Parts: sequence; C-alpha cells; structure tokens
Amino acid sequence: MKPGEHRETIDSSREEQLSLLQTITMEVAAAGDLSSALEVVLRRVCEKTGWALGQAWVPNQDRTALDCGPGWFCGNTDLKRFRAASEEAHFIPGVGLPGRVWKSKRPAWIEDVTLDGNFPRNKAAGKVGLKAAVGIPILSGDEVIAVIEFFVQEARAQDERLVKVITAVAAQLDLVMERKRAEEKLSTTNEILQSILSSMADAVIVADPQGNFLLFNPAAERMFGRGATQTASSEWSQQYGLYLPDRVTPFPPDQLPLTRSIRGEEVNNVEIFVRHAKAPQGLWTRVNGRPLRGPDSEVTGGVIVCRDITEVKKEEFFLFDQSRVLEMIAANASLSEVLTSLVLLMEGQADGLRCSILLLDQDGKHVRHGAAPNLPETYVKAVDGAAIGPRNGSCGTAMYLRKPVVVKDVMTDPLWADYRTLAEICGLRACWSTPILSPQGEVLGSFAMYRQETRGPLPEELRLTQIATHIAGIAIERQRVQETLREREARINLAAESADLAFWVIYPEQKTAWMSDKGRVIYGFDPDLPLTRDLICARVHPDERAAAHAAFDRACESHGTFESEHRLVLPHGRTRWVIVRGRCLADEHGNLLELIGVTIDVSAQKQTDLQLQIQREEMSHLNRVALMGEMTASVAHELNQPLTAIANNASAARRFLERGNIDPALLQQLLQDMVADSQRAGEVIRGIRALVQKDKNIARSVLNLNAVIADTLRLVSSDVLLRESAVATEMDHTLPQVEAAPVQIQQVLLNLIMNALDAVESLPPAERRIIVRTRSLNGEKAEVSVRDFGAGLPKDRPDKVFDHFFSTKQTGMGMGLTIVRSIIEMHGGKITAENAPDRGARFSFHLPAARRDSRSEAA
Amino acid sequence: MKTPADSSPGEVCLLDDDASVLRSMQYLLASDGIAVRAFQKPEEFLEYAATHRVSVVVTDIWMPGITGLEILARTCAITPRPRVIVITARDDLAARATAMAVGPVAFFIKPFNDEQFLAAVHDALAQAKQ
Repeated sequence: MKPGEHRETIDSSREEQLSLLQTITMEVAAAGDLSSALEVVLRRVCEKTGWALGQAWVPNQDRTALDCGPGWFCGNTDLKRFRAASEEAHFIPGVGLPGRVWKSKRPAWIEDVTLDGNFPRNKAAGKVGLKAAVGIPILSGDEVIAVIEFFVQEARAQDERLVKVITAVAAQLDLVMERKRAEEKLSTTNEILQSILSSMADAVIVADPQGNFLLFNPAAERMFGRGATQTASSEWSQQYGLYLPDRVTPFPPDQLPLTRSIRGEEVNNVEIFVRHAKAPQGLWTRVNGRPLRGPDSEVTGGVIVCRDITEVKKEEFFLFDQSRVLEMIAANASLSEVLTSLVLLMEGQADGLRCSILLLDQDGKHVRHGAAPNLPETYVKAVDGAAIGPRNGSCGTAMYLRKPVVVKDVMTDPLWADYRTLAEICGLRACWSTPILSPQGEVLGSFAMYRQETRGPLPEELRLTQIATHIAGIAIERQRVQETLREREARINLAAESADLAFWVIYPEQKTAWMSDKGRVIYGFDPDLPLTRDLICARVHPDERAAAHAAFDRACESHGTFESEHRLVLPHGRTRWVIVRGRCLADEHGNLLELIGVTIDVSAQKQTDLQLQIQREEMSHLNRVALMGEMTASVAHELNQPLTAIANNASAARRFLERGNIDPALLQQLLQDMVADSQRAGEVIRGIRALVQKDKNIARSVLNLNAVIADTLRLVSSDVLLRESAVATEMDHTLPQVEAAPVQIQQVLLNLIMNALDAVESLPPAERRIIVRTRSLNGEKAEVSVRDFGAGLPKDRPDKVFDHFFSTKQTGMGMGLTIVRSIIEMHGGKITAENAPDRGARFSFHLPAARRDSRSEAA
Repeated sequence: MKTPADSSPGEVCLLDDDASVLRSMQYLLASDGIAVRAFQKPEEFLEYAATHRVSVVVTDIWMPGITGLEILARTCAITPRPRVIVITARDDLAARATAMAVGPVAFFIKPFNDEQFLAAVHDALAQAKQ
C-alpha cells in the first residue's frame, strides 16, 4: 500500500475530525476510568483512521517501565499474536516505540517497524505484517501518564496531520482523565471521612433543615441504641431515650442540640443522659452542635458531635458521694451510719461487689461489726466478736498482720479453714481485706471486698479499697476522739458539778471556748450557745474588766497562771462575785494551745464575809465584856494573894501578942511582910486601873526601855535570889526611845520575867537563867526579848499562849499574856512568842521609836 | 520498903506556890501552936510524903507544875489517907468541883476567916489522932 491511499480517510474532512474529537470527548467523559477511556480512544481512532491496531502503555507503580495496557485491533485475528507479544513486553524509557515516546514526551513515527533497530517486537510485527507505527504521549502537565501506539499493515511516511489529530485527541483524553482523577481523589477523601466517622468514638449526626438524618455514624448508633430513623424531631427524645441531667425528665425536643443547630444556633457542651434498651444503666453524653450553611450562609442543616462522658460522670458522682460521706463525718453522724454509707458507695462502683467494714475492739484482740448492709445477717453475726489472729479469715488476719490479705478462693485458702461452711452458706467465694489504720498507724478495723467468683482484686478495686480505708479511718478515728472527749467532758462536768466549780477552756488561736454546764449557769450562757473568748470576757463587770484582761494577757504572754477576783454582769443586770484561776497549756514547741481554768462563784461567800464583819464587830464587843469578866477574876486572884498574906500575918501577929511571948524580930518580920504585900496589892490595882482606863489617865512619856528594864529587875531581884536564879541583860545602847506608859511597860516586863523565872524553876540552880536583851531595829523600833531555858512553849503554835487568859503559871503579879499583848498593841507595838533554837521560850516585843520632837520631853 | 516514919504528931503539911501567902500561913498556924511543914512546890511535898506519914494537908489547888487536882489525887493516894483542907483564891465552880472530887474536910476561899480556918485545922488534927 502507498502512503497516500488512506490519506483521504484521514484527511476526509475537518468536520470528520471535529466529529471524531467530539465523539471521543463525550465517550471519554462517560468512561468510568482511565482504562476504559483509553479503550474508547484506541477503538475510535482505529475506526476513523483505518489503522489496524492500537495499544496503550501505562507506567508501572514505581515508574521504571511501561506495562501494556488496553488494546484494540480490527477483525484480523492474526493481530492477536502481536497483541499477545505486546502484553508480555515491558519497556524502560528510551526502548522500543513506547519507551522512546515516554522518554522524549513527544510523538514518534516509524515508517516500518520491521526495519527499525529500536523496535524489540519487530519479529512479531513482521509475522502479522505490521509496518508503520505512531506513538503519542498522553501528558498530564509535564508527566507522561500513558503512551498510545497505532500500527498499520503497510509502510508509511510520517503523516503530520494524523499525528496532530491523535495528539489533540490525547490532549482531550488528558483533560478528561484529570477530571476523572480529581473525582477519584474526592471519592477517596470521602472514603477516609467515612472510615473516620465509622471508627470514631464520638457520635456524629447530621440532619437537614427538615430533620432528615444525612449522617448517623456507628458511634451514634451505639450511643443512641439505634440508627437513623425517619421520625420527626419532636419524637427524638422519646425515640432515643434522651433525658435531662436529672435522669428522669425527657429532654425537651425543641432544646435538643441538633434541633437548635438546625435552627442556626451554636450549641456547646450540653449534657444529655441517655437510657435505652441497650444501655439500661444509662450513659452520659456531652454534645456540641453547629449549623451547616450554604454558599449564601443559608442554613442547610445541622451537625452534632456527642462524646460519651459516662466514666467522667461516674467519677464525678463517686467523688461527690465520697464528699457526702465526709460531710456526714463532719456533721457527727453516727459511726454506723457513716460506715454503712461508705460501704454502699463502694458497692455501687462495681457490679456484684459486696463490702464490709469491721472494727477492732478496744481490747485489740476481737473484731466488732461495723457495717455490712448487703451481707447475710448470719455472716455478720458470726463474725462479730471473733478473735483476730494469723489464720483468722481475711479480716482477722489483715488486722493481726496489719497488712492487706487477698484470699482468691475461700474454699481452698487455709486462712478460711474455720469459716468455710459459713462462706458457702452465704455464697461468698473471694475476700480481700485491708486493715484500716489511724494516722499513728494503730489498727482501727478492716475494709473487705467479697465476690462470688474466685479471683483477686482488679486495679480499680484496689483503688476503691484505698479510698474506703482512708475514709473509714477518718470516721473511726474521729469517733474515738469524740468519745474520749465526751468522756473527758462528762468527767470534768461531774467533777465540776460536785465541786460547784465552772471549768472552762479557751483556745486563743481560734478564739473559741468551752465551758462546763455549771460554768454556763454561773456566766448565764444558754446551754447550746457556741462560746468565744470575747463572749466570756464581756461578762466581766466594766469596773474590773481592764484589770481582769491585764491578768489574762500577762498569763498568755508568759504562759503562766492568772488569778482574778471580779464581778460578772449577767443578763438582766444581775451581778455575781467570782474568783477565776487559769493556767496556760503549751505544746512541746512552746506554742500556746489553750487556757484552762476554773471559776468559783463566791457571791454567797462575799455575803457571808459581810455578815462576818458585822459579827466580828459584835464579837469584839462581847470579847471586851468577856475580858472584863476575866479581868475581874484575875484581879480577884491577884489581890487575894497579898490580901490573904496580910490577913494571915496580921492574925498571926495578934495571936503572938495575945500569947505575950512574941519575939520582936518575928513581929518586925510580920509587919514588914504586911507592908510588902500591901504594896504588891497596890501595884495590882494600879496596873488594872492603867489597863482599864487606858490612854485617858495613864500618862505616856518618852522612855528608855533599858532604864525601865533595870528598874523592873530591881523589883524582882529578891524573887530572883529566892529562886536561886540568874538574870543576864544584853542592852543595846543605841536603842531608840519610845513613848509609853512606864507602869504598863513595867507590868509587861514583870510578867515576862516572872514567867521566865517560873519556866526555869525546875532546872538545877546552875541552869536557872534568863536573858533580857534589847535591840534597835534600824532605829525605828525598840525591841525587847526575854528568853528562858525551860521546857519551851507548845510546839505547834507557840503564840497560842496569848490566847489563854490564864497560863497555868500564876505566880507573881502576872496578869496573863493576853493583857500583856493588849498593852503592847495599845502602844502600837507587837509581841511574839517562839521557841528558841536550842531550848526554852523567847518572848519579844517591839515598840515604835518616839517621834523626834517628843524626845526632848524625856522624863 | 522502909515503914514511913510518923511526922511529929500535930504537924500540918502546908502547900502554896505564893511565897508570901505560904509564909503568912506558916506564921498563922505557928501563932496557934500548930507545927507546920511548908512546901512551895508540890513535888517537894510528894517527895516528903513518900517517906513520912502525913496526917493533915493544907493546900492551894492552883499551883504551877502540876494541877491542883493532880496534887489532890496524889495526896489522897497516900496511905493512910491524910485529911485535906483546901484553900483557894478562886471562888468558882471549877475550883469547887475540883475540891469536891477529893472530898476535903474543909474548903476556904482566900482571904478567909482565921478562927474558922484554925478550928478546921485543929479538927483535922484531932481526927487524925483517933
């Protein structure tokens, strides 16, 4: 065949070519993929050009070679063989016709392939008579996506027009294919999206403005128990089991997030409780919704994303319930109530879980029932009072060993040997027990979990145990502390009541206070009023408040004690006298912890004091009267002695005279004695008068006591000699002068000296001595002491001697130490009696020094 | 034990802690011809009574050292029991009760009538001789 023969076919007309182009374009557009599009192109080009065979070559995956793609050939079945040879061939860039086109990205024309050096299939082509060939690249951008080749069974020179037509078709193919690829890509993205939506845990639902579901992903089906249904949006709450967070009120349909987002609202974090046949326990979901908008921002639908927050909610509820149990503890609910709530809370956290709390008895050796609301009563009763020990079930052993005990199967574990039958009856199989410890590490009890299957605890269950033992520990510890406090308070109250005392404690840090019942009565506080330091302080009478506060503050600062006597002003204006004594208590670091103290109501005592004062005055009067009586007796005695002596002497003298044989010396003696006794009687009378008529008639003068002592000793010298005694004097020559009645002071000295002489009388003569001493006390007072070496004064209270009007010693002119004391006190002085260190008694008195201006008047 | 020697018949033992009273009584009794043995201290008297027969005792019941009652009790314990005449400066219930406890033959309150006193002493001496 000559090259020009088919030219008319190819050249046929431009319309023909346009028609070809149009046909191909339409058919390619209709083709599903590149393969079928290529087929269309190959067939149509062959049919229109009369070429015998067309084939496509497509780069392999890694673009190292071209593989044979679709092909088309005319009815000549011989061509099958070439086709078969092509299908087995692969071309690397630059090799064979496809390789050349691929590499050069340009069309290639071979006049006769059988003569071509770079045509590996030339033998196969020769056998079926194929000669001329043309290869056209199909380019997408700069990349060859395929090479198409056409063959004809005669040698032909390059036909430029044909090449142009086919190139144009190929370009068309490229456009079509690019669109196709874009479509394919889109479809892939869709698939990815679909797979994401299918696999994601969050539910995604899209609906159009009419409420028809456009998307309802598998998570949504799981979450809401069913797929998309054709129900009106007003039925959704009922259809899918949607409730408000109270878990019982159906969710208002017009408030559903999807409904709202369809209305154009943005919805954030709405919580919906969902319960349906497939989730009877219910689940919690948090929903966000957005409206979908078209190009003109008209609402085209709504989308919601729902996240399952059941676990979060559960934890939230668990925490809430825990805090409720802690609140119960804080509100002083009974221990049994608290522990029961705690057990129920724990049991609610897992299916089929049974829990119990046992307490360790105060004796530290036995268990006591704590709480086990869901264990059989038989079991609870059997365990109550059981001993703890190394092989005593889970709980008894846990408390004994002070560590957790896990028994996976009570039927085989040796620890349960004694409890197996019981466990069997009660259907318990596994029991894990953990001791409950106080902050100090003391065992308070145990928390146990029971299961009906044999296994050990899961991590979640261990976590629950930890929480349970912690809370139970707080509850038990607190109850114990409160019990101790209550007991202590009761004891204190009892002691306070019986002692008629108010006990109180002030906590300076918190400024709170506690007071016993009696205290509240004394202070006029209601029994239930919470007390503070300020409330107590406000009761103090305004006149004494400053002083009381000062004492209180001083004690706080020094951590010392305080005492205050003050009035309280009670409601309604009543007042009370109280004595308050307090003490600060500090911890080992010296921090002030509390002030404890007592308040004594001394109102009654104060009243008594007042009466006593009146009585004392009366007594004083009576005393004076009594004193007069006593003095009369004393005076009678004192006067009787000399009068008796005088009478006797006179009577004796008369008798001697009557007999007429009287010795003049004897008579003289009798008369002398009578004179002496008369004088003695006179002294007594003077002394009495001096005492009774006190300051009126007894003239005081400025005296030197040393001189008075010397005079007195002269008076008693005969007695001293008679008694074979000795009186020593130790006079202080700087002794200040005193203002006193000399006769009275002489009376005092006589009394003391005579007493002293009496005291030493029973001693051997050599030891019968007394010492009279004077001393200046800083020039302000003159002191006189009379000391003997006799038996001494009563040991317990030497000064008791002053209380007895008469001592047992009534010799001499003694008038009783009471009178002596009253004389000294009348002079503004003081007299004391004491036992001397080695032996004997010492009486000392001192008188104030005379005023300077009166000294010049010294007599 | 040695048989106590009889004091001279008609001797009166006199006890008083007041020296001047004692001496005046001594003179008074002597003026009526009565032999007197005077004691200012009870102990000395008791010591004397232990070795001598005492028939009449004149005593003050208030004396230092031991109480009047004690002296009386001890005096009454002497065998044979002496006649006791009590003189006292105190006329009160206590003194009388004390004296009555030992049942004296006479009870005198100072100052006393010398005639009655001397008569009482003579009576006592006469009784002692029987």
